[in-house]
Amino acid sequence: MGAPSLSDLSLFEQKVIVGVGGLAVSTNRGERITTYSLGSCLGITIYDPVSRAGGMLHAMLPDSSINAAKAASQPGMFIDSGLPALFRAAYKIGLDKTRVRICVVGGAQILDQGGFFNIGVRNYEMLKKILNEHGLAIEAEEVGGLVSRTVSLNIATGEVRLKTSGQASETVLTKGYLS
Amino acid sequence: MTMDQLINSVKSLPPAPKILPQLLELLNKDDVHVERIVDLIALDPALTAKVIQRCNSTSFGMSQPVSDLSVAMACLGFNEIYRIVTTVILESSLGKAQNGYGIGEGQLWEHSLVAAFSSRMLAKDLGMDENIAFTAGLLHDIGKLVLNGSMEGKLDQILEQTEGPEPKSLLEAERELLGMDHSEVGGRVLEKWKFPTAMVSAVRFHHAPSDARPDEQLAALVYTGDLVAHMIGYCHGHQSFAVRGRADALEILEITTTDIELLSLKTATLVSETSWFNPATP
Repeated sequence: MGAPSLSDLSLFEQKVIVGVGGLAVSTNRGERITTYSLGSCLGITIYDPVSRAGGMLHAMLPDSSINAAKAASQPGMFIDSGLPALFRAAYKIGLDKTRVRICVVGGAQILDQGGFFNIGVRNYEMLKKILNEHGLAIEAEEVGGLVSRTVSLNIATGEVRLKTSGQASETVLTKGYLS
Repeated sequence: MTMDQLINSVKSLPPAPKILPQLLELLNKDDVHVERIVDLIALDPALTAKVIQRCNSTSFGMSQPVSDLSVAMACLGFNEIYRIVTTVILESSLGKAQNGYGIGEGQLWEHSLVAAFSSRMLAKDLGMDENIAFTAGLLHDIGKLVLNGSMEGKLDQILEQTEGPEPKSLLEAERELLGMDHSEVGGRVLEKWKFPTAMVSAVRFHHAPSDARPDEQLAALVYTGDLVAHMIGYCHGHQSFAVRGRADALEILEITTTDIELLSLKTATLVSETSWFNPATP
């Protein structure tokens, strides 16, 4: 690996924030895409280590059929409409499906044996179903549990970091890919 | 220390918001003169100034700035003014960091406000009193202000309780570690502040709505609003999802899992449309 280029240095990093129900894609090596406080929502990052195209989705609910109008205006709200929207946007900037690396964070669960309030579980089930249908695997994940999380993707390297609520430090979920 | 001694010793609680129970009482009367309400708020000039300032913020759609409370009341209506007064009174104390719970500055306020939005919308859908639901939602975690000091340095014990083979909720962990929990302390605080019994009961039982009879509907509203706030990401601190799922809340309100998802969607949309909502630093 050669010396890092200027845009690889975090000093010059531009932060792009994805809100609830939002998505973003980028090939800008100076960017770090971040989404905060996922709760039972899922934060999904995709990254192509060859073209260095990446993106993130912050989806709140599993199934868009409960509100088709919302899915049309803001597809990122739902896993089943947000995931295709994320991939479509990423294909346009050079992401190749055969090389895609997928990370998943969030989907916290309450202590709910009846599953009445466990949107986190249903979000994850929907995600797995869609990924399976397309023959895609998850490379790394930190899902479930009793905590809310924040996740970020470094476009220069594909590194994915996460932070857990109530804790000060970040951890690395995926180290990223050397060129 | 007894619960009352603890409550009296805590400095971070707001001074008794006497005006809120009085306003709630006026709300429920049929023939109230606007002047009575204005007079009550005007007793506190600092509060009045902040209320007018917030009325003039863009989200309320005033065509031109107002400088007078009775004009604001005429434009926005008493219900909106009541909610503004409530948020202005509680924001600074609920906005403080609660380190014992791992909750940072602004985060408990953010959570409480989203729970209040959600409880209020659900109340509206079900034809229940929106102001009571909003206020109870805003105050549901007030007990955490009292217990915060006692929770400091206990993270390892909290994790032990909530992540053991038979995981306990955060509420049960509080009871185990401190001999009392934030819902019963919160109920007692509201009782001391002379809030209506239904609200005391709803806060006291916001994690076990069936126990709030005859006020179980309000308790179930607050329980659901609290959970929705968690799910859509307005949840902070240690083990914030260590909350028990209560199927009885759905039964009491006669709603389904799909209704919870729709309420989550509506709550997230309302938050994004509220210009004075300032997200806390995660």
